[in-house]
Parts: sequence; C-alpha cells; structure tokens
Amino acid sequence: MSTEMVRADNVHKSFGSLEVLKGVDLVVNSGEVCCVLGPSGSGKSTFLRCVNHLEKLNAGKIFVDGDLVGYHERGGKLHEMKGKEVARQRRSIGMVFQRFNLFPHMTSLQNVMEAPCRVKRENKAEVRERAASLLERVGLGDKIDAYPGMLSGGQQQRVAIARALAMRPKLMLFDEPTSALDPELVGEVLDVMKDLARDGMTMVVVTHEIGFAREVGDQVVFMDGGVVVEKGTPAEIIANPQHERTQAFLSKVL
Amino acid sequence: MSDQTQTDRARPEPIQAVPVRHPGRWLAIAVLAVLTAMFLHLIFTNDQFRWSFIFSSYEPGKRGVMFTEPVLDGLRGTLLLTVTSMVIGVVLGVIIAIMRLSDNWILRGVAFVYTWFFRAVPRLVLAVLFGNLNILWDRIGFGLPFDQQIGKLFGIDDLNAQFYSIKASDLLAGFVAGMLALGLSEAAYMAEIVRAGIQSIDPGQGEAATALGLSRGQVLRRVVLPQAMRVIVPPTGNEIIAMVKDTSLVAFVPVTYELFFQLNAIKARTFVVLPVLVAAVIWYLIICTVLMIAQYFVERHFGRGYGASGRARQRLRNIQAEQGGVPASESGAAT
Ligand SMILES: Nc1ncnc2c1ncn2[C@@H]1O[C@H](COP(=O)(O)OP(=O)(O)OP(=O)(O)O)[C@@H](O)[C@H]1O
Ligand SMILES: [Mg+2]
Repeated sequence: MSTEMVRADNVHKSFGSLEVLKGVDLVVNSGEVCCVLGPSGSGKSTFLRCVNHLEKLNAGKIFVDGDLVGYHERGGKLHEMKGKEVARQRRSIGMVFQRFNLFPHMTSLQNVMEAPCRVKRENKAEVRERAASLLERVGLGDKIDAYPGMLSGGQQQRVAIARALAMRPKLMLFDEPTSALDPELVGEVLDVMKDLARDGMTMVVVTHEIGFAREVGDQVVFMDGGVVVEKGTPAEIIANPQHERTQAFLSKVL
Repeated sequence: MSDQTQTDRARPEPIQAVPVRHPGRWLAIAVLAVLTAMFLHLIFTNDQFRWSFIFSSYEPGKRGVMFTEPVLDGLRGTLLLTVTSMVIGVVLGVIIAIMRLSDNWILRGVAFVYTWFFRAVPRLVLAVLFGNLNILWDRIGFGLPFDQQIGKLFGIDDLNAQFYSIKASDLLAGFVAGMLALGLSEAAYMAEIVRAGIQSIDPGQGEAATALGLSRGQVLRRVVLPQAMRVIVPPTGNEIIAMVKDTSLVAFVPVTYELFFQLNAIKARTFVVLPVLVAAVIWYLIICTVLMIAQYFVERHFGRGYGASGRARQRLRNIQAEQGGVPASESGAAT
C-alpha cells in the first residue's frame, strides 16, 4: 500500500518575473496525510494549485497516481492537454479552499450534487442519496436545503469538504481550510478531516494548525522561499527541527 | 453572577418620548397633495382630453384610438420588434462579453471594436443606415463565401455556390433592417452589462468549479452566469424598457408596423393631437408596467440564496431559539 499518490519533481513556477516555486520535490504515498507548513508567501497555495493544474508549471513535473498532470508525454515531448482532459484529471483530485467557495445560488445538497451530476453524469437519484449521506457524515444532515449564506463558516467548510468528496477523489488538497474560521469553529472542521484521514484518504493539507499536523500528519513538510526546507515525520519536524528557518517559524506559531 | 441580577431586574418603563417634528416634510406633502389634486382635476374636467376618442370611439363606427386595428397592429409590431431585437442583443451580447474576456487578443480586439462601433453610432442613424444597406448588395444568401472570385480563379464565370439567397431589397427593407439595427446596437450595450456581471463574481467561484472537474462551458453556464444574473438583470430591465421606446425609431427605416407611427398617422389624418399622444403614453405605461412586474419575478429567481439570506438567517435563528436555544458551536457565527 505504499504506491506514490503525488510525486513532484523539481517544480518551478513564476508569476511574471517573480519566481514563487524554485524547485519543489515532494512524494506523498497513498493513504498518507502530508501537512505543509510555512510562512506566508512561501508558495504553499501555489504548489497546491499546481497539483491539480489550476496553475501551469514553468518547469518540472507533477504526477498524481502515476499520471503526469496537465501534459501528455509523447516521444520525449510534452503536449499540453485539452481542457476536457485536464478536467478529467481533476475529477479524482478534491480541493478545499480557505474561503470555502461554495456556490451561493445552490443549496448545500445542490452544491454537493453539482459535479457528480454535471461532470460524471451519474444517476440523479443515486447522487442525491450519496450527497445526503455525505452531508450527514460531516454532521450537516439537517442543513441539506440551506443556502450557504444561511450557514456558519464552519458549516460552509464542511459542505465544501462534502462537495469535494462527492466526486470520490483519490486525493484531497486542503488549502488552509480553517484559517478563515472563528477559533471555536476550527475544531468541527478538523474533526471531519481527522475522520477522513482515519478512513485512509490521501491528503495534502496546507495548515497553520500545528496540533493537527502533529496528531494526524504522516509527513510534515516545511516550505520557505519557494523550496522545501525540511521534511520528515511530525516528531522530527515539529519536536526537533534541524533547520534554523524551521526553528524560527515554529517558535513563532507554537 | 452579574448576568443573573440583570435578568432578574424589572423591565423599565417603555420610552415615551415626544418624537422629533418634521414641519418641512409636512409642507412638502401638502404641496404634493395640492399638485395631485390639480392634476386629477385637469384630467377629469378638461374635455380637450376627449377620453371617449381614446377609449370608446374615435370616428363614427370605429373603436377608440387605443384599440383600433392599425394601432393594435402597431402595438404587435412594437412588441415583436422589442422581443426579437432584445433576443439578438442578449445572445450576441453574451457572446461578445465572453470574447472580450478571452485569453486570445484577436477575439478580445474584435469584441472591443464591435462595442466601440455600435455604441458610437446613434440608433437613429443605424436605423436609416440599415434601411439603405441594400444599396451594397443585389442578393444576400448563404453559401461559399467569395464564390465568384474563387470561380474566376479556376476560370469559371459566374460560379454560384449559394444554397439560398434572397433579394437584398426584400430582406433588408422594413422589419428585418429595423430589427438588425436595434438588435446589433443593443448587443454592444448588453455585452458591457454581461461583462460587468461576470467580472463581479469572485474568481474563487470559477476556481472551485474548475477544481471539481467542470468544463469551461459548464463553469460559465452553471456557476458564473447564474450568479452574474443578479448584476445583469436590473440594467437589462432598463435596456428592455428603453428598447420598447426606441422601436419608434424604426419609422425612419422605414417600418410602419409600429405603435407610435400608427398613432401619428391617425393624428395626421384626424388633426386630433392631444388624445392621440395620451393614447400613446397609456400604451407605453401599460407595456412598461408589465415588464417591471416580470422583472420583479426574474430578480427574485436569481436572488435565491442571496437577498433572502439575511431574512432567512434571522428566521433560522428564531427557529433555533424556539427549539431551545442556539447550539454553542453556532452562536458565534450566526452573528
Ligand atoms: N496569480 C498570481 N499572480 C501573481 N503573483 C502571485 C499569484 N499568486 C500568488 N502570487 C505570489 O506568489 C507568492 C506565493 O503565494 P502563495 O499564495 O503560494 O503563498 P502561501 O504560501 O500560500 O501564503 P499564505 O500562507 O499567505 O497563503 C506570493 O508572493 C504571491 O504574491
Ligand atoms: Mg495560501
């Protein structure tokens, strides 16, 4: 069970003249939870967005479950994928955003049903059942007909997680899922994520919740200045950081 | 402890203060009341209005000027022209707005030039221009473009690769010319309205939809446009109402199948001026009223999940309070 779910090889990404990622290497095995820590502006979000090709790389390669993301490799040359093919790859990668990004004109249930119905064209009745049970699972069984505007931040983020899960992804990406939440709402979202981790979901989680990383993370990665400075088990990185930049960062957030 | 004592204390007397007086407001109301009374008095007592001319019979044996056959025909023409030119305007406007937001600079440029041209030229000029466009072509049809030139290239004289063609003066005279002039001009305005609507949507929406695997078209149709409609509908209502009135410009194409033209014709024939104009005003008021009611329902449809959210949240809180208090985890976020 230790196939590679995510493999990033020397990933570079620039916005104009600003180089944000300067050679990121990372391997996340199937079933593993990888927590990414790092100061603001270190390129954590950008890296996560590269993994499902919301951003195009400038150099390097990312593989998800063995498939090169965003390109075909034929005869030693890279060919850009068509929009449809990229969309197909994204189906198996769920993403949860800092600011939830629920569709405000749809109820919770419709939010969760949208992608399975439109993208996979699955049977509507089945999807409805699955969506309802997913919302049940994240503790919102009684909020299926509520619009996002009627939900608290924590509830919205849990709907967003259910929405991503509805596509039965093999990989989940979380970009600071609790940073926009009031402190007392953070716990309910982290609980859902812990539950997912226990079920064996492969997750890459950008977070400032050191407690979560320590408890749930199989691997902790510390990024700074567009590179991975240090990675290892939570015990190694959080309890006993080797690099001075890691030490400086942790001393600030702990 | 202090909480306890506060709730135990007796409720103080309700405040019974003398409200602030607004003499200016009362004066304004009095003036308006007098003006309204004068206006009603004018309408009901001045026989220059000739209400029977408008409503019951304008010539012996004929209906009132509002309901006479040519005027009703004109009304149908006005409505048909409004609907068709708005359909052209909205469909083309959406396409141009999307082109304007494209990554490709050629598409962006074409969209820009289109809006530039059709916003610059007055509708009246466009109407006259389209009425005379048949000067340019003899026949208009569908088929291989440049067929004659291509034919000459291969030594064939008079190659005709048109599947279907029609005499230009038949097609471009009258209604079609008016419809194109108004519709193409409208598309330029609608394009800007739609563009503003699309740009008002948080890019995170498109991103979240993309990340779920929706195609670009689906993102637009299912996520961005339905939300943008909230911003698009009110100015579009304005545009439709303006269009109802702008249809009277097609009299210059010339199209006679139009409300105001028909009423004007009666005015010219009978030398009755004011009642005819009043009839026109009444018809335009009726159309506009119907449109505003329709707009209300359209706005309500696209406002779901938004406008009602404040009220809905309040209702939710009331229900929770009735069922024994707000759960601790939600009390913070509900505010
Ligand atoms: N679309 C963009 N265009 C230009 N610059 C960008 C863009 N997105 C990100 N950047 C820049 O890239 C750098 C890294 O951004 P990124 O969002 O990846 O940081 P981060 O590690 O996620 O930080 P935070 O913890 O604040 O979310 C920042 O300097 C940011 O300004
Ligand atoms: Mg970020």
